[in-house]
Order: sequence, then structure tokens, then C-alpha cells
Amino acid sequence: MLIHSINVVRKMSYVYKLSSVVFLSLMLLVFSNHVKAQDSTAGGAPAAAAPAGGGDAEKGKTLFTNNCAQCHAVTGEKVVGPGLKGIEERAPSRDWLHKWIRNSSAVIASGDAYANQVFNANGKVQMPSFPGLSDADIDGMLAYIDQASKPAQEASLEAGKDTKNAGGVGNSGGTSISSGGPSELFTFVLVALLIVMLLVLGVLLVIVTILSKAVSPVTTENIQTSSFGQRLKTGMSDAFNNPTLRSIVIILFLLVATKETIDGAYSIGIQKGYAPKQPIAYSHKLHAGQYKIDCNYCHTGAQKGKSATIPAANICMNCHGVIKKESPEIQKIYAAIETNRPIEWVRVHNLPDLAYFNHAQHVNVGNVQCQTCHGEIQNMEVVEQRSSLTMGWCIDCHRRTEVNTKDNAYYDKLVAIHRKESSEPLKVANIGGLECSKCHY
Amino acid sequence: MITKHTGITILALAGLILGGSSCEKGHNDTGLVYAPQMYESVGYEPYRQIRPNPINPEGLNMRLPAKGTVSRPNYRTTFGEGAFETTDMMMYNIPADSIGIAERVLTNPIPDSEKALAEGQILYTRYCSHCHGTTGKGDGPVAKQYKGVPNYSTDAYKTMNDGHIFHVITHGKGRMWPHGSQITPDDRWKIVQYVHKLQQG
Repeated sequence: MLIHSINVVRKMSYVYKLSSVVFLSLMLLVFSNHVKAQDSTAGGAPAAAAPAGGGDAEKGKTLFTNNCAQCHAVTGEKVVGPGLKGIEERAPSRDWLHKWIRNSSAVIASGDAYANQVFNANGKVQMPSFPGLSDADIDGMLAYIDQASKPAQEASLEAGKDTKNAGGVGNSGGTSISSGGPSELFTFVLVALLIVMLLVLGVLLVIVTILSKAVSPVTTENIQTSSFGQRLKTGMSDAFNNPTLRSIVIILFLLVATKETIDGAYSIGIQKGYAPKQPIAYSHKLHAGQYKIDCNYCHTGAQKGKSATIPAANICMNCHGVIKKESPEIQKIYAAIETNRPIEWVRVHNLPDLAYFNHAQHVNVGNVQCQTCHGEIQNMEVVEQRSSLTMGWCIDCHRRTEVNTKDNAYYDKLVAIHRKESSEPLKVANIGGLECSKCHY
Repeated sequence: MITKHTGITILALAGLILGGSSCEKGHNDTGLVYAPQMYESVGYEPYRQIRPNPINPEGLNMRLPAKGTVSRPNYRTTFGEGAFETTDMMMYNIPADSIGIAERVLTNPIPDSEKALAEGQILYTRYCSHCHGTTGKGDGPVAKQYKGVPNYSTDAYKTMNDGHIFHVITHGKGRMWPHGSQITPDDRWKIVQYVHKLQQG
């Protein structure tokens, strides 16, 4: 492929050649940097507007929203309990409905045939009793259900369309590049890059010249009848014997080798960017981002102990015992529970045993946010290690972070002693945050 | 020298280019480490296991605590300060299906105080609000998907007492699953205090 592109380059004019070589090297530069786009979260779907009622139904609407709407829809759709459209036609009598709504378990216990049929048809879920509702209250709610069931159906259809549209438009991803004034280091790096690129350009041009000479022979007296191989050989040996070219190649090689060696040595033991595939495709973006479930809900140890803890399957089941049961990923949780074997999640943040870290100390006492060390977990589809977790990284934070001493008698004496020595606020470094034995023992 | 073995030179160059560009660390790889035994510990660790454990059933490092044992470090039995100090062993043996007993027998051992209420609010935000909503209206972000989350301040729920709420957090009720394993008893009582506040609307 390289040979092919060089052949193509050879056919072009010199200027064109030069520009395409520069373009090629630029492309290489661009592709060597990873650019990651972060999806912006989709906007919330508009809620369905409930139709307004009047008179008796108006009061019924308030009562219905407060007491019933969590489990019942005014349409025929089943939520937890059955949809209530046409409830009055289905039920034995209005009087039966009064009794049923006030205390459904009593009606079931009395052996009423229709009550038991409804109870069994809806998975034997007990409806709470509402002894506080008067006959008039229930009539008001029934009036509201009757009034709302027809237009509500149309409204919910429209709302459904709206959500579809919103889903299509809301998902736009993009990158934002913030640019400040160029720093000195930045200029230096740019200049160095330019020099290296020029050197590379020179070598490339030499290769191109050799190859072009070899492919289309210049008809001179000396080499008239030489073959392609021979011409290539002479071209190459000429280039090899050229001291300038040789030193350029050697300098380039040394530069690249030094850089790779230093980078390689520094990356030993650093697992930043580690994002292993987990046994279940769990998304923190969905759970912590979209549904705003607090980190502590699953990682119950973060406030209390050394480890933040990985939740056991029973915590997953707090929601997935009811919702999304049929998804193949969630079926894996069920399988784990049935076989009584824990899900083998892959640990992402691996601190070597030579260093001690305690979550409670940082999260509970130090009030450090999870995101400070773990990055924007709520936007991660797959969890990735965002911080380097090196000692320099720890120490750096201990030097910067001020201790929250307010309303904490434990620190009173420490603060008093510190005031005598320095006018700076009390940092973690001042209370032993840099002592070796705090973390290494 | 170089020119004598053109084929080999080209192959070597191609190998160098390919090798150099394909060496980047994959997302599934932790990369090289200085002291592997510091990562793959010789001792038994609960959250990282390389070799099967020969002692425990099914080769797991983790074991369930012995039945009936209680973890002590975060299990407080003394509450309140000074004259208001109370002691409660936080024993809870009422079975899941006996919510009636819980309603009659239990009272909150933690004395009402601003501090306990504030802690209750923090705990409520952590463990409850994504379903029950920040104001207890049953309108948390998960509730829209989960369905059937009640509003604390409505008729059926606004009079529910200490024992009832504590029992429901511990063992679950209806569509709500048990949360006893996640929240310690004293934290549950603090949440109960805050839920009483939300019941008032």
C-alpha cells in the first residue's frame, strides 16, 4: 500500500507532491490523538397533559391523582392495577365499588366472586385500603375517570408521538474544544514537532527520488541498460553513503526511540484508561445519569468502610425484580441468583497492596465527591479509570485540599497550632497527609 | 550492506511500522506493572480473586457471614446525647409477613432532633428519593419507569406509623423490595423520622 501511494505521488507534479506529503503527515498526527465525543443527555419527554374536568369531577381528579394514579391509568392500559376505563360498566354495582375502594381485602375475604376474579387476574397484588374516602369522594373520582377516559386516550397517543420526536432530536453528540492563549510549553512542542516533521519530510522526499529514479530511468550514458533492481540498488547505496541523510535518519531514530522508552517506562503500573468489559453490560450513564440513583444506593460501603463495595445481586433485584425482567442482560442476574453464584464483575480501579486507601476517610470525613477521583461516572456507558492513581496524584491533591474544620471540635487544637506557624489555611498535608506511614505500612 | 538484502530490509521496515502502531494498550488490558504480586495478592481478598480458593465452597474468596451474626463497626446501640440518651439493641426479629405486629410494637428509639432529621434527609436522598421523589410525592426519576410508587402525604399513607415504615424499609411491601441489607437499623430509624416529615406534605 505504501509503495502504491508512493507510485501515485510520483506521477504528480513536485508542488503537489510536497503538499500531499505534508497532508499525509498531518493526517497521521491527527489520527494518533484519540478524540472522544461525549453524548449530551437527551432532554426530558414532555408529560401528557391531563384534560381538565369541572364540578364534581374536578375534586375527583385531585383525589385520583393523589391516591390512585400511581397504580391505575384512566385508560384501558394496565399499570400496576388494571386500567380504569369503563370501570362502572364492568363492576357489579356502584355500591360494590364504594366498598371495594375503601377496603378491598375485606371484600375479597367475604368471598365475593368478582372481587376474587379481579384479585387473581392482577397477580394477587393487594390494593391499599382507603377508609378515609366518602361515597361522594368515590363518585367524584368515578365521574373523573368516565370524563377523562376518552379524551385521555387521544392525548396519550399524541404524547407518545411527541416523545418519539423528542428522542430523535435530543440525541446530538459533539465535542467542544476550548482554546486559551498558547503557553510557552505549547509553543515549544509546536516548534519541536515542526522540526521533526521537516526531517521526516526530507527522508520521504529522498525515498521518493530514489524510487522515481529507479522506476523511470534518466537516459544518461553511464546507466543506459540497467534493470530496475540495479537502479534501485545504486539509488539506495548513493543515499546510504550520503552523510547528511544518514545523520538525519539516525537523529530521527534516536528521537523516536528515546520518546518511546520514556513513555513506556512512565506507563508501567499506570492503568488510566482501563475500561474492562464487564460480565453484564451495566450502564452507569443510565442508572446514575438518567435515573439519578445515588452512588451510595449500590455502593453502600463508601461512607462506612475501606471498600466502596460492589453490590450483590439482591440490590439489582430491588428494581429488576419488577422492571425489565425479560432483557437478556438482566436474565444474567436471575441466573446468578438461581445458581447461587455471585456475578463476577471485573475490578476497574486496582490499587497495589503497598498503598492503603480508605473510602470512608475520603468520602465521609473528607467530603470528597465520587467524581473527583472517578471522573464523570454518570456519563460513562462502560466505567473507565479516569485518574492515574499514582502517588504523585495522591500527594498533589493532599497538598491542594483544605481540611473542612468548621464545627468539628476534633480539629480545634490542630488549627490553633497551625495558626501559630502559618497564615495559610489548614491543608491535608499539614495534618499528616504527606507522611509515608499514613498510606504505606 | 543494506542494499544487498532489499527484500529483508523492506520486510523489517514494514514490521517496525506495524509493530509500532499496533502496540497501543487495549481497554481490556491493565498493562505492565512493577510488582504483580502487589496487585494479584497472595492473601485472600474479597474483591479480587485470581486463583480458586481451595477452602471455601465453589472456590470463592467471599463467604457469607455466619447466620445470625451482626457486623459491629457500624452498628450503634446508643442514641441521642446527655439527658436524651437512649439505648436500644436494634434487634429486629419480626418476620416479613407480620407488618401488623411491627405497627403495634415498634417505636423509634432515636429521639427526635434536628440533627437526626438532617441525617435522615441525607439518607433519604441516598436510598429513597430516586423512586419516592425528593418531597415524597412518588415522583422520582425511577418512579416513572417503575410505576406504583405512592405519595406519602395522601390519605392512605399519611397516617402510617413508625413500625409500619421501618418494617417496609426492612422487608419491602407490594412492589417495593427489601432494603434491610443496604441500610443499618439506626439509619432506617432516621429515615423513618424524615418520612414522617414528608407525610405532612
